[in-house]
Amino acid sequence: MERKTFPGILDSLEDIRQVVKEESQRVKLSKKATYNLLLAVDEIATNIIVHGYEETGTQGTVDLIIEHTDGQLSVILEDDATPFDPLKRELPKEDFFSMPLEERPIGGMGIHLTINGVDEFRYEFVNHRNRNIFIMKTDG
Amino acid sequence: MSFHLQSETKKIAKITLTGEIDSLSAREFQKEIEKLAAESPDELVLFVENLTFMSSAGLRVLIFAKQKIGTNLAIFIVKPQESIVDTLEKTGLQHSVNIVDQYL
Repeated sequence: MERKTFPGILDSLEDIRQVVKEESQRVKLSKKATYNLLLAVDEIATNIIVHGYEETGTQGTVDLIIEHTDGQLSVILEDDATPFDPLKRELPKEDFFSMPLEERPIGGMGIHLTINGVDEFRYEFVNHRNRNIFIMKTDG
Repeated sequence: MSFHLQSETKKIAKITLTGEIDSLSAREFQKEIEKLAAESPDELVLFVENLTFMSSAGLRVLIFAKQKIGTNLAIFIVKPQESIVDTLEKTGLQHSVNIVDQYL
């Protein structure tokens, strides 16, 4: 298990994606699954940085932990921002996706893409830290 | 028979996007749209053949373009990679844009 710490700023997104991409390729996750995982991690990391740190005027870090055991790749993001469970946020209702673009409320798409992109997504609040967990099934 | 001629000029805005659109780069994309909005284009053509990643921040800029420029704005997305088409479909945005192989 390796922990990498990134500053909680938007410039870190690219670096976070790069690490997740390298690990996904190393464990031979398919191209499509890798992309979906990258998208999910990016969406949640963005929420942490924008809503958790930027908008509250606080500074902090985003920790990235990646494990590969028993045929599953787990990516974990940990942060010190105010407790926030992305799953408690109201998901877009069914009619949202058939709404014309110009009438749509902004928001909700990120968490939708997150949940639909990974095999499992969980949120925990442990040791005063937010912990977002993304799990992908792998062959080995 | 009297001669009749009707002429029409469309205002077309073209942007080429390469690399990755996340929440950081989407801010730059949005600024460009804000600039273009002053010209009130009829069509917004996005050449994205070499765009390899787009998060929901990029999708929000597309929505922003429609809201800012107007509902009549036609958005063309030229040669998107499969993963980006997938994202557009998962969020239902493919109904509001034109995904094309080439723009003539």
